Amino acid sequence: MTPTIQTERLILRRPTKEDWPVYRGFMMTDRAGFFSSSGDLAQTWKSWAAELGHWEMYGIGMWAVTRQDDDMIMGLVGPWTPPHWPENEIGWMMLSSAAEGKGFATEAARASLTHAFDVLGWQTAVSYVWPDNTRSVRLAEKLGAVLDPNAQAPSEDTLVYRHPKVAA
Amino acid sequence: MIPILHTERLTMRAPRWDDFEAYAAFCASPRTVHLGGPFPRCDAFHKLAAVLGHWHLRGFGRWMVADAKTDEPLGIVGLYYPEGWPEPELAWSLFDAAEGRGVAFEAAIAARDYAYDTLGWTTLFSAIEPKNTRSVALARRLGCTQSGSFYHEIYGDLHQWRHPAPEARP
Repeated sequence: MTPTIQTERLILRRPTKEDWPVYRGFMMTDRAGFFSSSGDLAQTWKSWAAELGHWEMYGIGMWAVTRQDDDMIMGLVGPWTPPHWPENEIGWMMLSSAAEGKGFATEAARASLTHAFDVLGWQTAVSYVWPDNTRSVRLAEKLGAVLDPNAQAPSEDTLVYRHPKVAA
Repeated sequence: MIPILHTERLTMRAPRWDDFEAYAAFCASPRTVHLGGPFPRCDAFHKLAAVLGHWHLRGFGRWMVADAKTDEPLGIVGLYYPEGWPEPELAWSLFDAAEGRGVAFEAAIAARDYAYDTLGWTTLFSAIEPKNTRSVALARRLGCTQSGSFYHEIYGDLHQWRHPAPEARP
């Protein structure tokens, strides 16, 4: 059964093919500059397919973040656990500038961490952040994550933030 | 949502996370030289996950071709239609383990029959990089004829090999 999570203001649900136009719109703008497939429609399509494929492969993945009264995807937040990743990650990517500044990413990331620890049984969780991505760095710090300089990163230029284990 | 196909020697099924090492080895090998490779491990995961996501986005896609007895992954074969492709393609990529056993032919026939008989398609092509002589040989063996070409940003010039129509299958 696919987990759906309700928070105070949000529904986190499995992403679907219907979310593709919003994802495409985001990735084809300058705002998506941190992501390697941005600006290339063919690569963007494949990266969306991989996003859906992660769910198919593991039964879990990054949730589509939606408002409770509006099913439109605002971002992707949640577990990202590919086999080549050093550790299990809680990742985030906000697609909608209209949704920014409202704390939705924080709310979704907190719910994801709780689910990862309490339901999925993770012992620890990290987030991989590019140093230049100041919004992302701020979010990690807001969540109480701290830089772990000894942790293995998926690539040299990536920061590893380790999350505190939240109480059940 | 991904149907399982059985042939004489093969099971064609959804890719799984435990196929990753076999797929990553394929991606890093010279076998992908005609496909824009070789590719690092991080690309291999995205590519394998995208094989699954393709089914969600299109309702059809490619299978992991596995040995019917041992379930060893041998390659990826099926119906491929990503963004930027001119029309749905019958595509094949075979791992070292599939070498010289007619696996690609057997899987391609099953995928083509699925496209024609289950999905009701009336035409199908395969895109092949002209220097990929082994794929050209397989296309000929499948009864294809070269029907044109198109240019792709990553793969360069690709020849289109048209498969026999459903009623003209050998």
